[in-house]
This record gives sequence, structure tokens and C-alpha cells, in this order.
Amino acid sequence: MHISDGLLSPLICGLMYAVSAAFLVWSWKKAKATYSRSLTPILAVSSAFVFAAQMINFPIPYGTSGHLVGGTFLAVVLGPYAAILSMTIVLLIQALFFADGGIFAFGANVFNMAIIGGLSFFLIKILTKNFTKKNWLLPSIFAASWLSVVLGALACALQIGFSPAFSEVGGIAVTVPAMLFWHVIIGVGEAAITTTVVSQLGRIQPTVLNGLALVRRAQNEGLP
Amino acid sequence: MKGYLKPLILILVFLAILIPFASEAPDGLERVVETFGIEEHEPLWNGLMPDYTLPAISNSYASTFLAGVFGTFLVLAMSYIMGIAITKKEAKPHE
Repeated sequence: MHISDGLLSPLICGLMYAVSAAFLVWSWKKAKATYSRSLTPILAVSSAFVFAAQMINFPIPYGTSGHLVGGTFLAVVLGPYAAILSMTIVLLIQALFFADGGIFAFGANVFNMAIIGGLSFFLIKILTKNFTKKNWLLPSIFAASWLSVVLGALACALQIGFSPAFSEVGGIAVTVPAMLFWHVIIGVGEAAITTTVVSQLGRIQPTVLNGLALVRRAQNEGLP
Repeated sequence: MKGYLKPLILILVFLAILIPFASEAPDGLERVVETFGIEEHEPLWNGLMPDYTLPAISNSYASTFLAGVFGTFLVLAMSYIMGIAITKKEAKPHE
């Protein structure tokens, strides 16, 4: 889902840089108030895992592929604020060193993957609040990770659809259905991988699931 | 440092095993761009390792794997630094 340069108009690039920058400042401030130093190793290792996992494209039908984005995975492990920031680092390294995602499109890519991915944390929080049985956790993570890819694709479809490159072929009227068609399928892969990895981590090393601890603590203390 | 070794080895083994199986097909967005025949411009910046390969290495498996190792360590180092910046040092408990 990494947008390369040339697909977005300068206006959309600038707008998405501004929106993403606002979210990053918010995440940074919230992170400083939330986390203690013991998060650092988990943050570093989980970001490195997401980078590696994004290299492995899985095939989907009709000659297309997808790969894990990992936003919801990071949100479960790190909580929303560190998830947004560490996904931004993954995207930055990809854009600078691997030309995966454009430099001008960086703001849009941060919004579509890091911010939407990190914010999927709050969907898990809402779902687990309403369905308090313990076995609702994994279905909630499945739903949140699927939705994070579909919403990211929708945002991407709007950004490219409102840009001149796609205006001749029909703009958002064609980009939205086309992007959603593929990412509804790719999202299932995202959800399957995220749910599997989280449930295994929960079994082997439950202490690393800091994001979940944040959810539980918020529920117990009734914090926002 | 010890805590990093095991997960890092796991990540690199994961890469080493799965790289040959990774799909070469276009991803969702690339597919949409192709479907509508949008011309992709020559990018302004090609990166040092375009398309996750080291141009100097001809064996495609080794080239991709080494690019992956390089990227994994870069992300690890940068997110570690950020981790220090966004977290508070725990207060030492009095004993």
C-alpha cells in the first residue's frame, strides 16, 4: 500500500504531511506521559519484526499480492502511541533506503498505515469493553487488523483518486472500489497473521503485550 | 543486549526461510495503478537498495536477504533511539 511519488498531487502531499505531523506530535506527547523505559527493547524488536514481515508478500487470488502492514500488531504490543511512532520509523527507513513509498508521499503513507494502524487500538478497546468475555479478545484483534487495512486502503484510494494521475480514468469513482476490492482480501491475510502472532506471543511471552495491558488497565480503572 | 539476541535471530531466520516464497506479484495498490494504465514516473529518489536488493550482489536471494538484514538493523537502531526518547527512566525503588 506504499504510495510512490508521482501519484499524488502536491496539494494532497502537503495536506497529508500536515495531518500526519499533527498526529505524530500528539502521539509523541502521549507516549512521553505513558511509557516507562522498560518498553524500549520491545519497541525496537517489534518494529524490526514489522519491517522484516513487510518484505514477505503473500499471494492473493488473481495475480496480486499483499503483505502484513503490522499496525494493529504494533498497537497490541506497544499501545497506540508507540505503535504510530514506530511504524513511522519503519516507513521512513523504507522510503529513504529502499525507495518503497515516495518521499513526497511520505505523509500520506504515514497516515494510511502508521496512524490508522495505531488507532485501531481503540477499536480493540471498544470491542473488548462491550464483549468482556476473554475469548472475545482475538476476534476483536482480527476485526481491528482487517479494518485497519481496509480503512488505510480507502484513505489511499481517496488520496490517489483526488490527484491528477487518476482523474482521467475516473478519479475516486474507480480508485475506491478497486482499492477496496483488493484490500478486503489482503486484510484477511493481515488479520490472520496478526491474530496468530499475537495469540502465540500471548502464550509464550505474555509480558510483551504492553498494548493489551494498557487496555486492561484502562478498563479496570475506568480511564479514558 | 542479551534480551535482543533471541528475537533478532528469530527475525533473521524468519526472513531467510520466507524470502524465496515471497510473492513477486504486484501488491494491491500497484495492481490498481497497472489496471488503469497510470504511468509511473521515474522516481526522484531510488534509495540505496531499490526494491529490497543490493545492486552490487547478483544472487537475488543473497541480495534480498542482506538488504533485509540491513533494514532490520536500521529499524532496530532507530526505534531503539526513539524508545529512549519517548520513555521515562524508572525511579529506583528504595531498599
